[in-house]
Amino acid sequence: MKPEENTGIVGWGAYIPRYRLPLKEIVRIWGFSEETPKGLNTIEKAVAGRDEDAITMGWEAALNALKRAGIDPKLIGGVWFGTESKPYAVKPSATVIAEALGITPDTMATDLEFACRAASESLRLSIAAVASGMVKYGLVIGSDTAQANPGDILEFTASSAAAAFIVGLSKEAVAVFEASYTYVTDTPDFWRRAYIPYPLHGEAFTGQPAYFHHIESAVRGLFKKTGLKPDDFDYAIFHQPNGTFPLRVAKRLGFPKEKVLPGLLTPYIGNSYNASALIGLAKVLDEAKPGQRILLAPFGSGAGSDAYSIVVTEKVLERQAKAPRVVDYLNRKKIIDYALYAKYRNIIKKI
Amino acid sequence: MKYSIARYWRERHSHYRLKAVRCLDCNRVNYPPSTICRYCGSKNLEEIELFEQARLLTWSVIHAATEGFEDYKPIIIAIVELVDSKVKILTQLTDIDLDEIKPGMLLEPVLRRVSEDDATGIIQYAIKYRPVLKRGD
Ligand SMILES: [Zn+2]
Repeated sequence: MKPEENTGIVGWGAYIPRYRLPLKEIVRIWGFSEETPKGLNTIEKAVAGRDEDAITMGWEAALNALKRAGIDPKLIGGVWFGTESKPYAVKPSATVIAEALGITPDTMATDLEFACRAASESLRLSIAAVASGMVKYGLVIGSDTAQANPGDILEFTASSAAAAFIVGLSKEAVAVFEASYTYVTDTPDFWRRAYIPYPLHGEAFTGQPAYFHHIESAVRGLFKKTGLKPDDFDYAIFHQPNGTFPLRVAKRLGFPKEKVLPGLLTPYIGNSYNASALIGLAKVLDEAKPGQRILLAPFGSGAGSDAYSIVVTEKVLERQAKAPRVVDYLNRKKIIDYALYAKYRNIIKKI
Repeated sequence: MKYSIARYWRERHSHYRLKAVRCLDCNRVNYPPSTICRYCGSKNLEEIELFEQARLLTWSVIHAATEGFEDYKPIIIAIVELVDSKVKILTQLTDIDLDEIKPGMLLEPVLRRVSEDDATGIIQYAIKYRPVLKRGD
């Protein structure tokens, strides 16, 4: 038996901020072609309000995960927070959330960074910690207020959202980790240097050698390890930097579009970095049926990808309505213009 | 740095989780929590949390905010009545436009940024109230 099989998701939660910036606003301000957002298959992106950040969004996603798990927060033995937009450069975000949710002080807590993949590494760490018996439950949070250089192509999709999962033993789980596999290399496709406010990227280099190579290698590694094939899965959720890459990688791996669309949120909210694939998983769990099998493959620049096979149990049904669903947050939206977005995301330089 | 870090730290549970105390003699709730009941002077108190939905009673809009709060303008200060405990507390509203505010509206608590001590100091987080999220089922 693989160690993963002893563990699973006991609670899940998501958060999407209220504000949406239509991408035609970025076209209007920076003089792009109207075809550019169409090529990204994205209409709007979610924007955190002025009083929100990765901590507050991660808090709400985690609160929803706790509501679904129905456990005493004091039983959580590890809080792992994946982000690349920490409110503090030095001072953990995980401790603020752990304190606010009543998890402290008998717990581990840390922030992890691996571009968009830190929360997925957190998921693998929590599986290890739970499977070993070192902790009873682990709380994994992916939350980002993704930054982009104003006027850069990245600005079309860099968005804000959060997802959270409580990992525990499989006998209590709504979905069991059947297997997982990670593939990482040193690939300089995207980075941000210290003291620099926005990340840079290697243009075309972000596609084939980074996104596609790592996700395909991780998924094929999982297939090899388990003997599973695309037909065995009901859903396939990939990291979603835009609305087209996940569909393309799915096709290359042999998954039909219909298995990708239920967990594809970037067309409506943009790329929420550490929450990108994970909020897709949250939405799929919101509507999944017992016995279904989910492929999850997050990706982070730098670069790496994890592939998970997750099997839904009958417990999912009793927990789906215990917290707001991703769709409830999708439906709550207020359209804003570029000026308000610039204020909310602190792009306007003040002294 | 202008803020008292010690005070923010000491008050974090009332800011993060609406921690309060109930007086075991006169049964009234003290929020923010105190060590002596403000209503009867008793020291016979128990800790409780007021993390619950609320109804909007009254509000005021602040357009000229003090240092550290300027970026959050307009700030909507509100008195809300908690649905279960009936305790009235002073809070801020968030995720709402001024023309959407209605007396009696149902609100829920969310953790948000309240102020910043310049670009270099601490960020203060606390519970604010927002309109209850509409659920599809
Ligand atoms: Zn009293």
